Amino acid sequence: MEGARDVNVIKLDEEFFAEFYDELQEMGMDKNQLRRCIQCGMCAGGCPMALAGLEYFIKRIVHASILGLKEIFLDDSSVWGCQSCNRCVEVCPMDVRPYELIQAIRRVCFREYAMPSNTIDGLRNYYEQGHAVIMKGYEERRQKVGLDPVPPTTIGNEELRKKFQEVMKATALAEVAPFPLE
Amino acid sequence: MKRIGLFLGCNIPLRRPDIEYSMRYILKEFGVEVVDLEGATCCPAFGTMPSVDLVGWCVGAAWNMAIAEEKGVDMITGCGSCYGSLNEARYHMEKHPEIKEKVNEILAKGGKKYEGKVKVWNVYNYLYEVIGLDAIKEKVKYPLNEMVLGIQVGCHNLWPSKAHTSNDDDVFHPKRLKEVCEALGGKAPEYSTMLDCCGMGALGSLAKEKSWNLFLNKVEKMRAEINPELLVTGCSSCLLRFDNDQAQMKKEGLIDWEVPAVHVAQLVALCLGAEPEKAVGLAEVPIEGIVEKIRGGK
Repeated sequence: MEGARDVNVIKLDEEFFAEFYDELQEMGMDKNQLRRCIQCGMCAGGCPMALAGLEYFIKRIVHASILGLKEIFLDDSSVWGCQSCNRCVEVCPMDVRPYELIQAIRRVCFREYAMPSNTIDGLRNYYEQGHAVIMKGYEERRQKVGLDPVPPTTIGNEELRKKFQEVMKATALAEVAPFPLE
Repeated sequence: MKRIGLFLGCNIPLRRPDIEYSMRYILKEFGVEVVDLEGATCCPAFGTMPSVDLVGWCVGAAWNMAIAEEKGVDMITGCGSCYGSLNEARYHMEKHPEIKEKVNEILAKGGKKYEGKVKVWNVYNYLYEVIGLDAIKEKVKYPLNEMVLGIQVGCHNLWPSKAHTSNDDDVFHPKRLKEVCEALGGKAPEYSTMLDCCGMGALGSLAKEKSWNLFLNKVEKMRAEINPELLVTGCSSCLLRFDNDQAQMKKEGLIDWEVPAVHVAQLVALCLGAEPEKAVGLAEVPIEGIVEKIRGGK
């Protein structure tokens, strides 16, 4: 048996909380909003992350955030499995808006380059073509169902695509993109 | 004449353009002019700009909504993720004028301005509220003759309700998609897993097997309870899971059953008389039997 001295104790003082709270605040999640959570579990009831069996589903993510445990999210990828379904926002009796927390955590992790590689691929496609998801062979599929081979989006319109990229270069993407914005 | 801006997104024009064909077809049939939104982009999808920066997300969404505003039209999308991302960004900008102001400073670099006038519709809400169930009933050429449908509304179409300008009255007991299906002559019984997530989306990329299990749990319960002949989704991402991924699960021997699946726009198109090769021409779970039944139904 290990003695009490070996128990991992987290010192829960304001100084400990401050850093992660400040970062979350900067990324769109107010700490007072976060601290309204009473851990009732309404959010977890229908959370796809919980139903799918991810270790950190919404209730645990809110809990860990209240405790300022940023390291968890740098090591564990559960927040990137959130389906953005917003059911948690709909049912939360304290109006914590848990999905807004997920997004804020992702933004904090993104700035530490702690995100799955497919996130980078989607973002690069979005910047370069204007579409996050591009499946090869779309021209043939479109023609098969009687449509023009190229849709009227940025993918077939270089002039507007360039303008779109100029706009995106003026966002936070310019500072944090893990690829060059050419 | 009614006009509406067709917001395509990514999966509809590039992977399942049979949904795009169907949307164009039904809008035209109902006397609505379809306005193309040239230079529109991805909504942006939740795993892209929304996960990077709040203002950046709003910039991406406002780029698209500004195109519709330039043309003086509202927008319609068949994709739940687009519906959610655009509406949530619109809501953030409406609630926080300082975000909207920053967004417009940035948009100006591309010669665009977002005013906040545009309304973003999904297909079944537009059919329900703007076209109307009676007009749908009148136009039906091939009624469904009480075919049993397993309906999948789609999370983003319902929640967060505060961000949506058009929605079911009770977002935990949705009726609108059901009533649109009934206007086509179908039956859409409730089942216990109706509101469960289909598993498509970020979870599919992060943990494929776990996300497939969500679909299997949902549909196997649905089959046991209501035994549908056809699955009908209100969202194109759900359709990718219900059709394309279902076909893959069959191929891999995970399931020994098949239930064809369509997006609600495709079902309306079939019932109105669209050519099946175009309206459901890219379905992967065999759908010929259902098409034959629908077209032979009258």
